[in-house]
Amino acid sequence: MSANGNRHQEIVKRLLDSKAVDFTAIGKAVAELGPSLAIAEEPWEGFCGTMRRFIHIYQIFNPEVPVEELGGLANVAGQLK
Amino acid sequence: MSVQKQAWNKEDLARRLCHALDIGRQAVEELAEKGYTDPEEPGNNIRPEKLISETAFLLLAASTAADTSDIRKRIEDLARLLIPHARSERMLLGMCLHPAMALDYAQAHLCLARLGYPDANFDLLLRQSMGSQARYGRERVPHRMLEQEWLTAVWENPAAGSRPHTLPSAPGSVLNHSMDLLNCSREDIYALTHALMYVRDFNIAPRRLPRRRAEIMAEAEALLARCLDEQDYDTGGEVLLAWPLTGRSWNAASVFGFRVLTQVEDQAGFLPASSTRLARLEKLKGSHRTHYLLATAYHTIYVMGLLCATALQPGRTPPSRIPIGTVVPGSAKMLLRFLDTDPRSAHWRDELEKLTEPERDAIAGLLLNIAFRRKVSRGEFGVLRELLDAAHALGLSGTPAASQTAEMLERLATFAEIKQTRVEKVRKAEDLEEVLSTQL
Repeated sequence: MSANGNRHQEIVKRLLDSKAVDFTAIGKAVAELGPSLAIAEEPWEGFCGTMRRFIHIYQIFNPEVPVEELGGLANVAGQLK
Repeated sequence: MSVQKQAWNKEDLARRLCHALDIGRQAVEELAEKGYTDPEEPGNNIRPEKLISETAFLLLAASTAADTSDIRKRIEDLARLLIPHARSERMLLGMCLHPAMALDYAQAHLCLARLGYPDANFDLLLRQSMGSQARYGRERVPHRMLEQEWLTAVWENPAAGSRPHTLPSAPGSVLNHSMDLLNCSREDIYALTHALMYVRDFNIAPRRLPRRRAEIMAEAEALLARCLDEQDYDTGGEVLLAWPLTGRSWNAASVFGFRVLTQVEDQAGFLPASSTRLARLEKLKGSHRTHYLLATAYHTIYVMGLLCATALQPGRTPPSRIPIGTVVPGSAKMLLRFLDTDPRSAHWRDELEKLTEPERDAIAGLLLNIAFRRKVSRGEFGVLRELLDAAHALGLSGTPAASQTAEMLERLATFAEIKQTRVEKVRKAEDLEEVLSTQL
């Protein structure tokens, strides 16, 4: 394993060797705060609109819904040349 | 050559690239002049500049794979179709009025010039804009700086060949820093994939990476896991580009990811994005229907084109089978226990069913990354601790996602201690208050 891999492994081992902590209980406590903490999907480029006028090539809008059923998409694919 | 090392069928890759170029032609014909405006979902709106720039980008990537007459002819036809849009009055005026965005407006022009379609007048105005006082009048984040530096390099020295130095903004970009693999946004993933595209220049004039390839690829694998599990094939395709853009080897996870994308493309007839909604399509007729379909689908189709073009470069083609290195037998089975408690189904799971046991074990690291992401997003920290235990026992804990998970649990343990201390303080204060009130 590379030096970097060893470093990652040591970090994991440090946690595994540490005293027992009830992470399930922590998970429940965090869940109460979860929704208001979820800022990761806020696009930072939207801050104060400073960057809204860039042409964003190679980024796509994601409505955060699952991809449609593939058979249904195949029925409309013929419309694409 | 052994079956194990046999390369992916190049005709199949060329066919997929040709499909992307054909859709590119249709997209330019239908949308390049006015773009697309969706009155119901503004997120689907597309500016003409975006489509035009992305089509030119696809053409540039395709040119690196143009070893068949089919591809070459499509590139020539699409380039000629694109030229009037890339150098339209709209683009010229954009450079006049927004010199800080001159390179953004000139992107398609620069790609076309590099492909052998120059335009001296466009260059003249671009030079004037680039020499203006307002040229640097807008701040950009590092990967957007890299885009500007890449475009400048394409303009000043379009010739092929490796460059000795990396781009100036690369050391400050995510290429040089560990990503947040557990809680990053799609924008963060784009920052990585775009930075790679600009620094590596589709291997035309590639520059050095600011960090070791293995470190970046370990992070890319965690991001790929997330994209596959979320069926986000747009960013997933871009993440997969990391392998052929940076080296000649594809690992088990990336080959598996590529297989998933090709299977999805074959079943749907195109690589889909979640923005294409069948219910909307049913309501639309004629050109409205075609425009909606193109506007929501073209981008992911282009990403597949970029991927196949790069995979067609000499030495960059993925193997047709999952490479099996040193694996721990039964590791996939053990990790699937953490995933199969979850009713969520994704296309990667169907593909996994087709693999042999050793092939499944070869992608155990990818399964682990999927499990990390799922458990973190649901706050199942107790299960995460068990997962880390399993990963360590299987020898899979030497990855950035595993160590970031461990670090997060350590922070949460500190959080719990702080919380407990506060609870005890409040309790003591309440006890004291009670004692005092009874004494009074």
